[in-house]
Amino acid sequence: MLNRRDAIRGLALAVGVGSSGWAERALAAAPAPAALTWMPTALTQEQARLLDVVAELIIPATDTPGAREAGVPQFIDRAVGDYYEKGQVDQLLGGLARMDADARAAHGDAFVALAPDKQVALLTTYDQEAGVARGQGQSHFFPALEDMVTVGYFTSEVGATQALRYEPVPGAYHGCVPLAEIGRAWATR
Amino acid sequence: MANLNGRARRKNTYDAIVVGSGITGGMAAKELTQKGLKVLVLERGRMVRHLEDYPTAVMDPWQTKYPQGQLPQAELAAHYPVQRRTNYTMTEYTQHFFVRDDENPYTEENRFDWIRGYHVGGRSLTWGRQSYRHSPIDFEANAKEGIGVDWPIRYEDLAPWYEHVERFIGVSGQHEGLAHFPDGHYQPPMEMNCVEKAFKTKSEARFPERRISIGRTAHLTDPTEEQLALGRTKCQFRNQCIRGCPFGGYYSSNSGGLVAAERTGNMVIRPNSIVTELIYDEKAGKASGVRVLDAVTKKDEEFHADVIFLCASAFNSTWILMNSTSSRFPNGFGNASDQLGRNVMDHHLGVGASGEAPEFADMYYSGRRPNGIYVPRFRNLGDAATKRSDYLRGFGYQGGAGRSTWDRDLGSRAQGAKGFGAARKAALTQPGPWTMGLGGFGEILPYEDNRITLNRDKKDAFGLPTLSFNVTMRENEIAMRRDMQTAAAEMLEAAGFKNVKGHDGGYAPGLGIHEMGTARMGRDPKTSVLNAHNQVHECKNVYVTDGAAMTSASCVNPSLTYMALTARAADHAVQARKRGDL
Repeated sequence: MLNRRDAIRGLALAVGVGSSGWAERALAAAPAPAALTWMPTALTQEQARLLDVVAELIIPATDTPGAREAGVPQFIDRAVGDYYEKGQVDQLLGGLARMDADARAAHGDAFVALAPDKQVALLTTYDQEAGVARGQGQSHFFPALEDMVTVGYFTSEVGATQALRYEPVPGAYHGCVPLAEIGRAWATR
Repeated sequence: MANLNGRARRKNTYDAIVVGSGITGGMAAKELTQKGLKVLVLERGRMVRHLEDYPTAVMDPWQTKYPQGQLPQAELAAHYPVQRRTNYTMTEYTQHFFVRDDENPYTEENRFDWIRGYHVGGRSLTWGRQSYRHSPIDFEANAKEGIGVDWPIRYEDLAPWYEHVERFIGVSGQHEGLAHFPDGHYQPPMEMNCVEKAFKTKSEARFPERRISIGRTAHLTDPTEEQLALGRTKCQFRNQCIRGCPFGGYYSSNSGGLVAAERTGNMVIRPNSIVTELIYDEKAGKASGVRVLDAVTKKDEEFHADVIFLCASAFNSTWILMNSTSSRFPNGFGNASDQLGRNVMDHHLGVGASGEAPEFADMYYSGRRPNGIYVPRFRNLGDAATKRSDYLRGFGYQGGAGRSTWDRDLGSRAQGAKGFGAARKAALTQPGPWTMGLGGFGEILPYEDNRITLNRDKKDAFGLPTLSFNVTMRENEIAMRRDMQTAAAEMLEAAGFKNVKGHDGGYAPGLGIHEMGTARMGRDPKTSVLNAHNQVHECKNVYVTDGAAMTSASCVNPSLTYMALTARAADHAVQARKRGDL
């Protein structure tokens, strides 16, 4: 059975970006900063810190910046305050609470205090659980959280212009261009 | 006192009044002012100036207040329960170009999606820009099949005016040389992408009668001197047209017709002016002007002119006629036929097929093409081979191919575990599979009992009566939809696409945003409201040239036809006025 590292390397190679070695670096991510550098307005400090760590695990810094540098936790905090539906907020907060509870039950410590491999292991559990739940037509907090992070990241300036390609004024349309010349997916349609 | 009234009346008197400033109002203003008439344009909504009043036109994705520029559900539910129904009109990028439903009520006896923009330029700012001519068979079909009434004009009557409008607005497109899909005057066509080109080759090999063309769209790809002089430039392939274009790359009233009219020095435009009724002069036997409710001061005012053009959009022009009662017109202005408000038409859509392209994984595209491919109607063209026994008329497809991007695993779009971390991130920064979709736009027949009526019991925010809608799909449309789905899937299968799926997401009348027919043109005043020149049969100095005039719907996007009818009617009005015939 493949371990996670192999699985990641395999997928990274499959999409043609594995040779830079960042997949490995991502797994050995630097520990989260001890304190937030921003003030949450809708989330509590604890929720925001946990979100900050989980968002970076979902979209880590690789050859391009990750969710933290893109401001994704702030994006989600703002949307909790003025955009998400109550059901979405409840699911998000329930998910964050569960992550901490699971971390404490398994390792006796808050999620943010765990070593990265333990954090990844917990998220892997949620991801697999979510796969089963979705197959049965049920909602699960983890993919919902991933969606929030994904939207926040790829619509951020960092995500759109560095992880993806963004052209505010293309000037022309060319219908058949080798992908290699463009390199990445377009940020907007 | 008499003198004062005389002066006030002179101050408010013009050669012509144009009601509405959208795609037809702008064209009427341009044509009438360029032919020397002093014109007052009355617009019920606020001013929108080209360039200055497009607040979201150059916003980047990270500058929105809400995720992906979507509005909170509570705000949509409270203020935009109808405008949101399209799933694309009501976003942070476009909110200011659509009405608040809570302030603009109407009654849905059956569901009707009335998507509106009340401001200078109207929906010419947010339209889909697809620009096709009706074909000769469109103008003949009613008479041949005994449906509704005969159009009082034929293709040849409108052809020079189509060309006149195409030259002014600028249409990019490909000549196809098909009788049932008349070519116009085009700027260079936009390019198909790899998958679309392959689809064209393979599908046409199997179904040669189903021509696949690039969309004909009102974008400048090789602007003329006239267009450049108006301040318009080439399309920049941003595909953010619905926010207003800072380049004037697509045609809108704001960037085109109204600018041309303004430059003649013959136009006065008055926003916030709700025309509540036509004023009928019994003695003269014609309309002498319009009554206006100022949306800001809430005061009534009258304006006078020799000629009046109603270009307020189909249902609002009809509303004005319905609300203009007098002893001469007790049942609505020019409504001896009782056809006013009847024969509501739209294009039914939301049905088609999609599939995945098996090749070109190493190919992509650059630029955001504000246009798709077009498959002109290929059913019931008058020969045995295309004849359908299950329905009349036909449909066209609009569609295109593209590669999915970072949002492809959001929500329910992906099944199972999504994964997370560096691998998923890397995958999402690469384009996903190519998919291709075809969506039908089908003709709806005119039915007298598909109608809007004036509801004097339910008032809007200004205390004005409102409209009530009773419009439903009939057997012909339902049978056509089945074919629309099947034929699309067939073409994708023939072209070797994988995982081909037909879809019918349902359709509610109005969703095509192509409302038509409620003051139709015809030969006989007993069965139609307008004559062959868009004049009200019973009052020749009132012209109606928006969608209300349409005698049948065709299956092609209608704005080009409205504009051609408007330019033709304006020419008629100017000549008739010169002769003293109005």
